[in-house]
Formats: sequence, C-alpha cells, structure tokens
Amino acid sequence: MEFKLEAHRIVSISLGKIYNSRVQRGGIKLHKNLLVSLVLRSARQVYLSDPCPGLYLAGPTGIPTVPPPQQPGEPVAGPPSGWGEPPPPSARAALPEPEPQPQRPSVCHTPGAGSSEPVAAVAGAGDALRGGEADSAAAAWGRVERPRAVASGGGSDTCPEGPRAVRRPCGCPPAREEQPAEDGSPAPPAPCPRKRGAAGVGGGRAGCPAAPGSTPLKKPRRNSEEQPSTGEEDTDEEMETGNVANLISIFGSSFSGLLRKSPAVGREGEEAEESGPEAAEPGQICCDKPVLRDMSPWSTAIVAF
Amino acid sequence: MKCFSRYLPYIFRPPNTILSSSCHTEADIISTVEFNHTGELLATGDKGGRVVIFQREQEVLVEEQTPDVVLGSILRVLKFSLPSLQSKNQVHRRGEYNVYSTFQSHEPEFDYLKSLEIEEKINKIRWLPQQNAAYFLLSTNDKTVKLWKVSERDKRPEGYNLKDEEGRLRDPATITTLRVPVLRPMDLMVEATPRRVFANAHTYHINSISVNSDYETYMSADDLRINLWNFEITNQSFNIVDIKPANMEELTEVITAAEFHPHHCNTFVYSSSKGTIRLCDMRASALCDRHTKFFEEPEDPSNRSFFSEIISSISDVKFSHSGRYIMTRDYLTVKVWDLNMENRPIETYQVHDYLRSKLCSLYENDCIFDKFECVWNGSDSVIMTGSYNNFFRMFDRNTKRDVTLEASRENSKPRAILKPRKVCVGGKRRKDEISVDSLDFSKKILHTAWHPSENIIAVAATNNLYIFQDKVN
Repeated sequence: MEFKLEAHRIVSISLGKIYNSRVQRGGIKLHKNLLVSLVLRSARQVYLSDPCPGLYLAGPTGIPTVPPPQQPGEPVAGPPSGWGEPPPPSARAALPEPEPQPQRPSVCHTPGAGSSEPVAAVAGAGDALRGGEADSAAAAWGRVERPRAVASGGGSDTCPEGPRAVRRPCGCPPAREEQPAEDGSPAPPAPCPRKRGAAGVGGGRAGCPAAPGSTPLKKPRRNSEEQPSTGEEDTDEEMETGNVANLISIFGSSFSGLLRKSPAVGREGEEAEESGPEAAEPGQICCDKPVLRDMSPWSTAIVAF
Repeated sequence: MKCFSRYLPYIFRPPNTILSSSCHTEADIISTVEFNHTGELLATGDKGGRVVIFQREQEVLVEEQTPDVVLGSILRVLKFSLPSLQSKNQVHRRGEYNVYSTFQSHEPEFDYLKSLEIEEKINKIRWLPQQNAAYFLLSTNDKTVKLWKVSERDKRPEGYNLKDEEGRLRDPATITTLRVPVLRPMDLMVEATPRRVFANAHTYHINSISVNSDYETYMSADDLRINLWNFEITNQSFNIVDIKPANMEELTEVITAAEFHPHHCNTFVYSSSKGTIRLCDMRASALCDRHTKFFEEPEDPSNRSFFSEIISSISDVKFSHSGRYIMTRDYLTVKVWDLNMENRPIETYQVHDYLRSKLCSLYENDCIFDKFECVWNGSDSVIMTGSYNNFFRMFDRNTKRDVTLEASRENSKPRAILKPRKVCVGGKRRKDEISVDSLDFSKKILHTAWHPSENIIAVAATNNLYIFQDKVN
C-alpha cells in the first residue's frame, strides 16, 4: 500500500518536472527528461502492481478532503507520512502482475472530450475549452459514484479536470517541483493548475484562471481542509487510480510525447507530439489496460509538455 | 601523496558583483574549470558566458621568519609522507594565481525557428597545447563552440606619419619629414579574440568537447551525436557517433560525456545515461556507432529502486594521463576502469553513499540530476571529485585512503591547513562530524581541476573558486 502511495507521489513529482521543463530556459533538456520518464515508468510499474484492489471498491472511509483549489496557500493534506523512501526492491519484485482495475473505466471517463480537441486548443483556446470542460466534467462527475476527494494532495488531479485543465494554456509552472518533501504530502501534478496552489505557491497560480465550468461542480464536494488524512488518502486512491494509470501508461510505455521531435522544437513539435500519441493505436501504446478513450485527453496533456 | 594544505588560498569573485557567501547572482556560478597543459593558466567559465583566465606567478624563494605549521595529526591519519623543507627559515614559495584575462565568450541567443532561448552558460573549456606565444582555448555553450586566442601585447608602435600621438589623422600637407615608427614598450595588455566559431552543428545540448592528440581536430558531443571538427574548418564537421533512434519513442539512452584518448588520436570514449562506456576506434569506420569496447558493470539487484537508472547515469568520463585507465563518475560513486577489462571496473569508490537512502528527496529537489565531474592527478595515483556541502573527496588509489575536505571561507586563512571532514551517517555524532541531515545541498562542488604536474587543485564552489596548493618546496 505504501508503495502505491509512494509510487503515486513520485509520479506526481515526475509529471511536475516534465511540465516545468517546458518553461525552462535553454529548452527541454533531453537527458533529464529521459531520466524522469524512466522514474515515471518504474513508479508506474509499482503503482499498477501493488495488490490492493480492495481499497478501490470501498466507499469513502472518511470525509473526503476537498480544499478549494483556487485558494492560494491551501494546505496540502496528503497521504500519510512514509513517503520517504522507495519501496524495497524485493517488494516490487514480489508484486503480482497488474490486473485490470475494474473501476477504472468508470472513473473519470471522459468520452471523446479530449480527442475532439484540436491541436490549436493547446496553444490558446482556454476559454473555449472551459465550456466543453464543464459539460464533460459534469458527465464525468455523474459517472463517479463516490465523492471525489479533490485534495490538493493530488488525488483528484487526475480526474477529468486534470487533462482539460492542462489544455488550458495557463502556462503556470506547477512550481511545486522545487518544494522538497517537507510539505509532507505530494503536490498535485502539473496537469491540474487549479490545484497547484496546494503546494502553497500563490505565485504559480497567478496566471492560472480557474475553470469555471468545473469549479461549481467541485464545490459541493469540497469539505474543510482539516480532514483526516486517512480518509482522504483512501478517496485519493479510488479517484486517481484510473487516470494516473492511464497517464503513466502513456508516459511509461513510450517517450513519444516528449521526443517526437528534437527537444528544441517549439510549437511545431508540440503539434507533432499531440498527433503522435493520438494517431497511434491506443492498444499499441498501453500495455493491457482498456484505456482507449481515456488516452485522448491525456495525450493532449502531453502536448503541453 | 602529500598532505594537502592551504598555502595560498585564492577566493575568486567576479569583479562586478557584490558577493556575500549567501547571495550571488546566478550568472556568476562557475560552470567549468580547466588547467592548461603546463598548469600555468587556469580557465573558468560561468553561467553568464564569461571566461576568466588566471595565470600563475613566477615562483620565488623567500625567507620565512617562522616555520610553517605542519599538521601532524593529519599526516598520521593519512600516512602521507612529510613534506621536507630546505631549511627552517627558507621556503620555496609557490606562485599565486592572478587574474590574467576576462572576456565574454558566449552571449544568450534566441533560436527564432524553434522559439527557444540558448543559454550562454559555458559548459566546457578545453585548452589547446601551446604552439606559439599565444594561448588557444575552446569554449562551448549548449550549441556553439568557439576557439579563442589569448595573446599578450606589451609593445606598441609609435611615431606614425599620418597619425599623431593621440591617433588623430594629420593633414598630409603638413608633413615635412618622414620617420619610421618604432615599437616601444607599454603596459601589458592581454586580449582575447574569437578566431573560429563552430556553430549550427548540434541539435541537442553540447555536453563535452575534447581536443584530439593530433592537435588538428577535436570533437563535440551532444545528447545523441558526436561531431568531429577540424580547427581550421568551421562550416563542416563529421558526424562520428549518432545514437538517435529512427523512432524517438524508442530512445533509451543519451550520451553524457566524451573524451579522446590522450595519446591515440583514433580512439575516444563516450559514456551514456545507462552507466555504460563505449570505446570507439575511428579507423574502423567513418561512423563509429559500433563500439570497439563496451564497458558495463552488471547492476546490483539488491540496490534496485525507483532511482536506479538516474544514479547509474554517468556524469563524467576521464582518461588517465597514461591512457591506460578511464574514470567515470555517477551519482554516488567513482569507478576506475582498465581499458583491457570491460566487464567491471577495477576500482569503485563511494563518494557519498549516505545519500542512497535520501534519493527520493534528492529527486524532488533535483539534486539527483547534478552532474559531478572527476579528475586525475598528474601521476594518476589520486582521484578527486566533489560532493555537497562544499565537500570534495580525494581517493588515493595506491594506499586506498580517502579524505573529505571542505572549500569554505572559514578555512580561508592563509597558511591554514585543510582539516579533513567527516559525515556522520547515524548513531552518535562526534564533535567535528556533520550529520547527513545538516548537509547543505545547495552548496555543491561539481567542477574541480588538478594541475597537470603539481599538487595544485582548483575547486569551484558555486561562484567561488578555491585554489589549494600543497605545502612542499
């Protein structure tokens, strides 16, 4: 269990780094991004191999912690401590083959919302996206049976708002990349700028308009911030599983999004990157998970990188 | 090996910045340090694209009033031989390094086609052997290599006919006599001029340059390709290594460092992010994608973690002066390989193994991506590399002894002798030890250099340069 949380945290951090690399001076550093993707792959393997299926199907054990993402400096109520170290290798080796997570297709399923997004949407059409996001967000919310723990701890980052949020060209770096672990919790991954404030970086969100479409949907589910971390972590688990798995399967199975062209390619490369994962057969990219439609919003997420 | 003392500490500060130990501009961070082939000159490059060259003073014999302090305890611990003095009151004084020349090598550029800024940070400096009165060095940023000529001027012509002493043109009608201009001495002026610019040959970021022993060619390596240049030709280069896969999705490793063999002009090595080293022979084929030798140590499965791949990535590779060995630096260790044995290194030294349990935090704060360099001493008996908290480590290959030293202002008194430091990894911390958790990871020593023949080392600690000399005549 801890391995899964650790793996998830590492995935979040890695995604933050990849996202940050986009805005770094001097262009994307190929070597560093390659190493980050390798870590992502390892974390994904652990994440998908960790045999704790029972958690996913259980209802919320506690009140979900959903701090409003727009508030700057919101405290991060993340998974419990124990993040410190990666799982012992023997544990990883002993983990069984990943089984398809039964709830995954139902969680945060975004039917075609992402796939229909044009490439240009990445570059600029933030406002246009929000309308579409609201609809598909509503649909996704409806499909999710458990209350979502939109914790700044990163659980809900992987829900539908996540990829769509990434397509908003808010351009704010997650900024949590530089924040060491003393927060005590994982910061939200890059794709969800609205929740980036969880790491306490108000500045990082300065350029991030919220997604009005999704905000009202999330408000009713948000509770006060001082929620038991255990409850939040459980709900984090069930909420994030599907999409994190999708996302890391995309990153893990190939480096395509980042390296479709040389790292020094700008707009042109981004478009190519996006078309790459989308154009490829979903079955080819993902190993054994049914992630067909889920791929699209995430592949668009990659474009931002 | 002699005891390392601080004989004449020299702390370098860029002249146009106000510095304290805690605040400095990013542009002043030293990004490379290199002695020239005689050790007379020491070049540093920084993030702001500047190159500063230090020159060593001539040595003098001076009378000393009091004998220098000899730190017996250190010598006992390390079992090094005592330096001998000519007499109690007479010491052969080593030359100091003083600033010789400063110039702006690279400027920030913007690639309009790709909408990317090209950093002006100097990634590497390599000297050419001296062939005439001028000095030549190569400096490179991410994309462009430049050949600089550093020359002295200490005479100037005077007595022109058409110009007066201030340089103003004279009206030819006023000239009644002619004279021959003569050279008169002037204050020494050191000027640096760019003689060649080798540009537009690299799609990815250049990480290494290496001058060939034939002194006619050099190579530049980026993440996926290595190009061979002739010094005289700037608009062409040969691509000798290309590891870019046809489908970038299949990319698994990148080139991290490359170097020519010190004597064999056809041989070079390059290291990869997977912890492997390939030795290539340019006589075998024009494109050296197929290696001649492949050095890899099997991974220890008990050490496997999320970050195994990152910490196995080699950050620096250096041939020994003899050409018989190569030394590689990965995140936690330094390894010495014999060129004749490919399956494992002959020596492995742990630099800071106490960080192995902290890899996750180091990943978060990006320290795990730090690229440490490593250097040989002149006789290939001692190797040195940097660590955190402004520590640097030396390993004596013969005695298997090692020492941790610190480059800090507190130790910067003249004649002070560097005290060995120790990191306490657990349990009770002794008085002088420092615990792992109090290490300052923002103070890292990535770049060091060792004089080619003497025990003089240059250590770059963020924006300060420390030069330590051995206390021996």
